[in-house]
Amino acid sequence: MSGSSTPDGAPLLDVGEIERAEEIVQQHPERALGEEAAAGKGRGWITAAWALPGFAWLGFYLVAPLVFIVLVSFWTYQQGAKSGFVSDWTLSNYTELFNDRTYWNNMLTSFLTSVIAVAACLVFGFPVAYFLALKVNSLRNQIALFILALAPFWTSFLTRSVAWTYPLMGREGALNQLLEKIGIVDEPIAQLGFSNLSVRLAMIQLYILFMITPLFFTLAQVDRAALEAARDLGANWFRSFREVILPQTMPGIVIGSIFVFVLTMGEYGTVRVIGGNAVSSVGTIVNSKVELAVQYPQGAASAVLLVLALIAGVLVITRFSNLREEL
Amino acid sequence: MAQEVDVTQEGAATTAPSETKGSGLDLIDLTKIFPGGTVAVADFNLHVEHGEYVVLLGPSGCGKTTTLRMIGGHEHPTSGDIVLDGESLLGLPPDRRPTTTVFQHFALLPHRTVLENVEFGLKMHRVPKEERRRQAFEALAMVGLDELADRKPRALSGGQQQRVALARVLVTKPKALLLDEPLGDLDRLLQLRMRVELRNLQRELGLMFIHVTHNQEESLSMADRIVVMNDGRIQQIADPLTIATRPKTELVARFMGDNNIVRGRIAERDGERLILEDEHHVRVSVRAPDDAAKVGDEVLVAIRAASVEVEEDDSGPVGVNSAECEIVFVEFLGDLVKLHLSAGGERMLAKVPGERYPSLRGKEGEKIRISWKEEDVRLLHS
Repeated sequence: MSGSSTPDGAPLLDVGEIERAEEIVQQHPERALGEEAAAGKGRGWITAAWALPGFAWLGFYLVAPLVFIVLVSFWTYQQGAKSGFVSDWTLSNYTELFNDRTYWNNMLTSFLTSVIAVAACLVFGFPVAYFLALKVNSLRNQIALFILALAPFWTSFLTRSVAWTYPLMGREGALNQLLEKIGIVDEPIAQLGFSNLSVRLAMIQLYILFMITPLFFTLAQVDRAALEAARDLGANWFRSFREVILPQTMPGIVIGSIFVFVLTMGEYGTVRVIGGNAVSSVGTIVNSKVELAVQYPQGAASAVLLVLALIAGVLVITRFSNLREEL
Repeated sequence: MAQEVDVTQEGAATTAPSETKGSGLDLIDLTKIFPGGTVAVADFNLHVEHGEYVVLLGPSGCGKTTTLRMIGGHEHPTSGDIVLDGESLLGLPPDRRPTTTVFQHFALLPHRTVLENVEFGLKMHRVPKEERRRQAFEALAMVGLDELADRKPRALSGGQQQRVALARVLVTKPKALLLDEPLGDLDRLLQLRMRVELRNLQRELGLMFIHVTHNQEESLSMADRIVVMNDGRIQQIADPLTIATRPKTELVARFMGDNNIVRGRIAERDGERLILEDEHHVRVSVRAPDDAAKVGDEVLVAIRAASVEVEEDDSGPVGVNSAECEIVFVEFLGDLVKLHLSAGGERMLAKVPGERYPSLRGKEGEKIRISWKEEDVRLLHS
């Protein structure tokens, strides 16, 4: 090699050669990569192309509406204008909302409903998932019982909700009649139907599956040998549960809680059907502004605040487990 | 079948420190029948002294692990009793038994560091934090892992995980340590090393170890006593030398390997000596002082492959305890050579020193004369 290690301080490598190489790369970038890498890069584009319809779908139905809602929430309401607003920038939608006690009361009620639903789904769902995952031994029975647990999904939401209102929980409904027959109450309990109580009970029943499912899958993966080892080393049932099962189930608890929290906080349908006119939530407020008053900018602003509340809630929930490390 | 076999500890060289009544572990008529009717363990009787190293040996599904799990409290016996130092353990959950287990795949707590894993047992027994930290480090130092105390188990090699599992059970100072295939997950060289380390550790601690394995060599190298099991029943209980050289049953002879098992009819009976002949006219003599077998009865004998010798002189007539064989295959194993032979159709095995390999290499198909001594022949019970 000429000039590869000359004693008089000459470069170890012919710089001219590097320059020539750079020139080639600039003109033909594909030559800089190995043939395989180049082929891989090509495949990367193909993969991206496959994902394109999905991206387009997400963009059109999720991102665009969100962007649009944020924009509208800063525009001005004007009666008689096309769609009821003009694109003049204003903060008044938000300032009005911040001073609207009804809105914040509803936000609080909805938040409370969600917290209660998450807690109740966790308390009632955990034993079910625990039983399915750790006590049922054959995989076949596990799957069969799990599908059975999903049974509520098989009936239409509306059918069930309507059944909840008058026939089951109403003043003359089955539950009140039963309570009267047994003698627990003398008068039918009015709060059973069309109340926050009935809405919350319905939501727990509706959304508990979103808790049971992730719990079931994480519990099924609990290292049973580690559980036995904990017992062996002197942990009673409760402590082995706390030391072994709970840490390994945390991702499931977090994901289930996010599902239930997000789904119940923004709920509209259940509140309308089960709660009737007696109950309102953030969802019903947003809807009434848009549907009844055609107050698009105000509706958009209240929806934006709801989304922010949801994001805050999810962020708080994820603090309980390092999902990225656990999953 | 197996009950007929006398399972007293013939030739047992146990450490047996004392014969104090009510000391040590007693398994009494222990039986486990799983739902569905599978008999996992049947009428298991065993006494283990403190400080003794007992290995339960047998093929997979023989009930050895179920027996261990019953001692640890992870499986409930269908009948029988487990008594440790005079007190029955039945009805006690695992956390209240003075036993701890090294599980097959170590079963470390994945969310805890090495130190927390080792501390766990002490924490459960409400040992104050300072004290348990000190003891945990002591145990980690004992297995040479004190520097990895802050690692999570998944960041350790198999051998290191194994040592954490050991440290974790040792800190709880159990009366009996139960080991379920403790070396099964290690690669071979580490296995060989750990056999010695584990045995040394046990001697130093003077603890009762009950070790389950399917590895014959492992059991021979580590045990004070070996319990050979098959189909939920004890086949033989004896010290390693006896198990290796004087198998009681056909199953033990076959399972320990490298035994020539010859089935034949008794041709002559001369006092305590029986001479049998198999269908290929191989004649074997065996001493059977207590056996009632008559001429014409079918019996089984075992001749250890290591006691079979290759005769240099093959001129005389083939007598009792020798055979004319064809070499089927010469298997070189370094220290020794296994000669796979055929004595007129009867498959025989001879183990000869490795130095003889050069003279045997490539001799497949040739005839040789083998012989063995009467005292190396054992009458087997079926």
